[in-house]
Amino acid sequence: MKKLRVLLADDHIVMRAGLRALLDRQSSLEVVGECENGREAVELAGSLRPDVVVMDVGMPGLNGIEATKTIVDRHSSPAVVILSMHADESYVMRALKAGARGYLLKDSAAADLIGAIQAVSQGRSFFSPKVSRILAEDYVRILKQKGDVDTYDLLTSREREILQLLAEGKANKEVATALNISPYTVETHRSHILQKLNLHTPAELVLYAVRKGIIS
Amino acid sequence: MEVKPQSAPEQMDKNHEKTAGQDDEHMTEKKSETWIASQAHGRIQLGSRGALFAGFGALLVLMAIICLDSLRTLGAFATYNTQVRQELLYRERTLEQVRAGLYEASNIARDYILIKSDPHAQEILRTELQSIQNETTTALKACIQSLPEGKREPFQRLARELEHYWSTIGPIFALSPKDKNLGNTVLRGHVLSRNTEIIAITREVSAVNDDELKDADRRIAEVLAQFRYRLLMVATIAFSFGLILAGTTIIYAVRLENRAEEKYNESLEAERELKKLSKRLVEAEERERRAISRELHDEVGQSLNALLLDVGNLIEMSCGEGAFRQGLQNVKALAENCVNEVRNMALLLRPSMLDDLGLVAALDWQGREVSKRTGMVVDTVEENVSDNLPEDHKTCVYRIVQEALNNCSKHAYAKKVWVVVRQEPHHLRVSIEDDGKGFDPSRVCGLGLIGMNERVSQLGGVLKVDSDPARGTLLRVDLPLPSTSTPSRELSS
Repeated sequence: MKKLRVLLADDHIVMRAGLRALLDRQSSLEVVGECENGREAVELAGSLRPDVVVMDVGMPGLNGIEATKTIVDRHSSPAVVILSMHADESYVMRALKAGARGYLLKDSAAADLIGAIQAVSQGRSFFSPKVSRILAEDYVRILKQKGDVDTYDLLTSREREILQLLAEGKANKEVATALNISPYTVETHRSHILQKLNLHTPAELVLYAVRKGIIS
Repeated sequence: MEVKPQSAPEQMDKNHEKTAGQDDEHMTEKKSETWIASQAHGRIQLGSRGALFAGFGALLVLMAIICLDSLRTLGAFATYNTQVRQELLYRERTLEQVRAGLYEASNIARDYILIKSDPHAQEILRTELQSIQNETTTALKACIQSLPEGKREPFQRLARELEHYWSTIGPIFALSPKDKNLGNTVLRGHVLSRNTEIIAITREVSAVNDDELKDADRRIAEVLAQFRYRLLMVATIAFSFGLILAGTTIIYAVRLENRAEEKYNESLEAERELKKLSKRLVEAEERERRAISRELHDEVGQSLNALLLDVGNLIEMSCGEGAFRQGLQNVKALAENCVNEVRNMALLLRPSMLDDLGLVAALDWQGREVSKRTGMVVDTVEENVSDNLPEDHKTCVYRIVQEALNNCSKHAYAKKVWVVVRQEPHHLRVSIEDDGKGFDPSRVCGLGLIGMNERVSQLGGVLKVDSDPARGTLLRVDLPLPSTSTPSRELSS
């Protein structure tokens, strides 16, 4: 079986060494490169063609989120997992908007990194359980404070099914195949879902799914 | 000027009370020196002021004296002039009377001779002559009486001649009608010649009178000249004195003005310094906070994360159960705790979002955090806020919202807060409104508000507090934006 090629981008050398030690023990993975800032990450992503980039947020020069954006814009192939210290919506949203597939907290990297790399390499989203939990809690609290209606209740069961598949990172076509319906129908459902939930971008849809605990 | 000498001794006393160290004594010495200097300075000030007052007083007195003297001299002069003229007039009138009397007497004498035989008419003429004689004699006598001894002589001569005349004219009236031709002769020969002589004397006396008038005029002119001279002298003195006084006053005023301006400039300078200092203080605080926050976040936090990772690796490698694995689990739990602590501390000092993601993300995060911590609903709306705001503006708005939210939850017991940040072409407007218990802004001004005001005014902005007890508080900030908003957003390191 072909090994997953991983690029590590983190300015903290000890952290990088730790991550490398973790990944080196996995036979299914191969660390093909390391770098310490966003600019190098963009360059290496181009030259090394990794399957997954593990990216720190706070780096000198070009930060992880901007670097992710550039990498995703230029090369469609590598999936990016963001490593961050913050379980906050602002960061998650920025990471998702930049095109990251996974969002991982550094303090749970040891437990979750392998799973995250495997998930994003298969085109799925991945969030640290702690992030999902915090976002979900925030969402419920704000909903309660504002006394708003939970828009999730407006969705039909088919729409909920499709929402989950889309949030996991599946394309319309894949969803259509999984549910045995036409891609056009999926597209119709998708626009209904976005309208009902008052969402506008795929990133917002993923964030919503994380908040609702639909995906993790 | 008067305050200095008072406050200096007080400070000296305080100094004495505080310590008796050598340094302090030195200080006291220095202070007392300055005190003496300022005392002396005060005395000089008082002295020159006193001199000015005295000078002005003297000038006024001098001017009053000049006025009084002039009035008095002019009065005396007028009196003298009138007197002289009246006397002369009187004498001239008397002379005129004498002349008229003579003229009339001659006429009467002629008439008497011409009248042939009318005793009644002759009697009337005689009586008339008598009365003229009496009048002129009396008038002349009175005039002589009024004259001083030296000037009587021509008048006495006139009186004698007049007496002679009367005695010459008298016999005409004694003549019988037959002798009237003789009377004519007498009249023509004696009386008329007397008459002419007397007229000559009166002319002489008139001439003397004229001389006297001229004399009086000369004297008056002399007195006037003297008076003019004196007036000129005194006026010159007063003028010079006034000039000196004015000069001194101007110098004094200019000096005072200079000193006042100096003081004003000093105070302005001090104010500017204070402003600069406070700006630097705020900047330094912010810089320090950021440095510590970064240090915690990037160094301590990352190291702890690396530690966590290593411990995780170790746990993976240590197969089986046992005390060793359990110990590693404990270390991991501890390290996780530490990471959380460090992250929270770093965020409290300065949220990394402000630098990593910009103002909007930072404000949103702050709203959520406050909401989570206090249960107060924070509704944050950002309109048009760019990620490229100047560093100072970002920090200012963030800190103000932070302080305001703090006040809302701590003091106002608000249930809901609305935060609106709106960017316009040349302004950044922030409003923070709560539904709390409010306060009276004219009476309450906490340190927090002062700090906010300081931050806002440093960027040339305006902060307005609109609040009332029993109503919420509305805080509005209007910050001018630099015309070219240079992208100053720092990417995190």
